Amino acid sequence: MLKSMKPSLLRIFWLARLTFLEAVRQRFFAFLIVLGAAMVLSSFAFRFLDFGHGELKFIADFGFGGLFFFGSILALVMTAQLLFAEMDNRTALTLLAKPVSRTEFLLGKFAGIWIVLGLFVFVLSTLLGVMLWGRWQELVILAEQTAKVAPQFSLEGVFSHALLQWFRLGVVTSMVLLISTIARTFLFAVVVGAMTIVAGQLQWLAQEALFKPAELNPFSHALLWLASRLLPNLQQFNIGDALALDPSAVATGAVSAAILSGGFYLIAYLFLASLTFQRREI
Amino acid sequence: MSATSAISVQGLTKDFRVGIRGLKLRAVDNLSLEIPRGQVFGLLGPNGCGKSTTLKIILGLVAPTSGKISILGYPSATSSARQRTGFLPEAPYFHKFLTGRELVRYCARLSGVAPSQLDSAVEEALALASMSEAGNRTIATYSKGMLQRIGFAQAIVHDPELVILDEPTAGVDPVGSAAIGKMIHSMRDKGKTVVLCSHLLGQVEQVCDRIAIMDRGRLVLEGRVDEVLARRDKHVITVEHLTPAAQAAAEAALQAQGAHVTSITHPRRSLEDLFRELVTGSRDA
Repeated sequence: MLKSMKPSLLRIFWLARLTFLEAVRQRFFAFLIVLGAAMVLSSFAFRFLDFGHGELKFIADFGFGGLFFFGSILALVMTAQLLFAEMDNRTALTLLAKPVSRTEFLLGKFAGIWIVLGLFVFVLSTLLGVMLWGRWQELVILAEQTAKVAPQFSLEGVFSHALLQWFRLGVVTSMVLLISTIARTFLFAVVVGAMTIVAGQLQWLAQEALFKPAELNPFSHALLWLASRLLPNLQQFNIGDALALDPSAVATGAVSAAILSGGFYLIAYLFLASLTFQRREI
Repeated sequence: MSATSAISVQGLTKDFRVGIRGLKLRAVDNLSLEIPRGQVFGLLGPNGCGKSTTLKIILGLVAPTSGKISILGYPSATSSARQRTGFLPEAPYFHKFLTGRELVRYCARLSGVAPSQLDSAVEEALALASMSEAGNRTIATYSKGMLQRIGFAQAIVHDPELVILDEPTAGVDPVGSAAIGKMIHSMRDKGKTVVLCSHLLGQVEQVCDRIAIMDRGRLVLEGRVDEVLARRDKHVITVEHLTPAAQAAAEAALQAQGAHVTSITHPRRSLEDLFRELVTGSRDA
């Protein structure tokens, strides 16, 4: 079966490669990676504003926040921009006139963007990991000198969080790709995509409300039920501070549960995007 | 469908929905067409007559409202049909950061050219498009004529049986147009079928074996160029060194046989031919 799929997989690979090359050349990508890195680095300077939660938690929250925020913007804008650029500039005409199916075209786009996002997450997470590890070393020595309890830190936790964030951005990318295949303009895709990301972040509220059905009227119940099924719970990916600073607080299987649930939505959104893109007139 | 057809279009209709109320706009109206293999076929018509839409439907880029299309015996829009088809879009736009050679190589890979044949296929396509030397320059630095030529190279790199060219000479100067005309002829000489749509009637007349004219989505004429253009009731005789006495004698002889001389003029060459004679060097080279 894999042998028969080889030509298709190769085409997806070449499409992904071109998408990757195009994306990393964009000034927008460079701008956001510099901005994200600046935010991670600046957390060290602002660590005195820790509100009593400890320096490492402040640095981690600041860094993970930057990763989350700029990563979301990058996934949203880059996905919509790269797909609309292909259609508006009519490069899609050249590519789709080749023996390339529309599903392969979309999967190639998705894979290329996801790899760029992986690079973004890896660079910022490495920077944050190095910063946290360096400061943690200092705090351990300080704790030994003052006979205090040293804070916990797990470099592995930082990279587990990086993996989770990469997955979250994959879900966001597939979601925006679906919206872009339906949308007629880039602006519409970005606005609706942004609203969907916010709704995904708040999806857990819908889930919680559904636990109290007595407080809901039938319409609200139906709406919340639908929202909680159509949208992924993006909040479940934001457990970076616990993974890095207090791994014992993370429920067993939380990471794999988030990846499984995210994977389901990612595949479902890509499937729907492929269906809607079949009818799109280029 | 004829077994020798490169493209067979039967009863093709395409309606576009426009505006909020979804009013129907008929771009192609019950078009039936058989394009034979191994010929250069020109699809002509004014702007908005539906020729580009027809090409896009043939390539599977736009879905028809009704009708059947097959390419080389395969249903259009299938991978088998596209594997055997090359396409140069109107005013082609490619990823500017690639070099011409990288673009052609990329298109060869997407079209399934075997790795062992990749280098030779790319170089052959570049050579045919006269782009071997400029192949290492980024596409951003190319002139309009070079863009068309590199577009032609990417369309033929996988050695397709059918090449579809949408306005291949739009915005290209006469020297560049002549170069594209040569490429089209060389494709025909290799036994390929070339379908092109163009506004430049003079050039179509020079390169096409057959033409079809569309108007308002309908086919109004189809046939061999020499057949549709010939005026069977009139003749042209070209004579050198015609003196007034010889002219008078010839007219008298023709009239004696019942023929009637309507005009005697000097033959003209086309402005395009004169331009090409004077401007010998291509600026793109």
